[in-house]
Amino acid sequence: MIVTNTETVAGYEIVETKGMVQGNTVRAKHAGRDIAAGLKNLIGGELKGYTELLTESRRQAAERMLAQAQQLGANAVVNVRFTTSAVTSGAAEMYAYGTAVVLRPTTQG
Amino acid sequence: MEVIIGLLFFVAPLVVFGLLIGRTVERKHLRRLDEHDESHRHFLITQVKSFPSAMQGERPPTLVVAEVVIASDYLKTFMASWRGIFGGEVRSFTTITSRAKREAIARMVREADALGYNALCNVRVDPADVGGNNTQRKNPMAACIASGTAYVAART
Repeated sequence: MIVTNTETVAGYEIVETKGMVQGNTVRAKHAGRDIAAGLKNLIGGELKGYTELLTESRRQAAERMLAQAQQLGANAVVNVRFTTSAVTSGAAEMYAYGTAVVLRPTTQG
Repeated sequence: MEVIIGLLFFVAPLVVFGLLIGRTVERKHLRRLDEHDESHRHFLITQVKSFPSAMQGERPPTLVVAEVVIASDYLKTFMASWRGIFGGEVRSFTTITSRAKREAIARMVREADALGYNALCNVRVDPADVGGNNTQRKNPMAACIASGTAYVAART
């Protein structure tokens, strides 16, 4: 499965558009991470727990999106976008969406 | 009077803490970012939707994504609260937001590089919402999510 956030893919042409596919998830970190983040706010630096939270959420949302694309019989998802929102303190929503298409390598003339 | 003494005893150590450790953490991070930029100079990064100088018949383009969350330190938070009174640029926060963005782009570049690509196009950097204690605005942090499409470009 080819996934890009561009509308076209270099070296390929879109032969069929299957439609929009999407996946979302709301995930939270355990309280220990929140406490650690609070302490980190004294000295600065990366909040690895929250970075992880975003990465896990993004992977899960993308997985769901790709599963949908597979079901539609697509071999690629183009123009993928990710958006986030904080649902409540400690939980973040990640939403991934894109357009499922069928790609074919362009024949070089 | 007691309030002032209380402030001195409680806030002052935290500010000093932020000053000493926070500054070091930030300086180290900026140095790492500079080193990364230096060692990945050949890497082509654009934010256009087309694929500038893409090579034909190479491995298919792929999406790369990176997330970064950077915390403020106590000194920065303290200075920002003062800036809130007089207005103007909150420099202490400008640096953490820019560090988060640079780090996210750097991670994408490293991932694309490891996969054998030498260019990124359609780079998008968006602020992310982590929830966390963020909603109370007690613990300021800069979160961002960056995405781009990695491909193989012909380089001279």
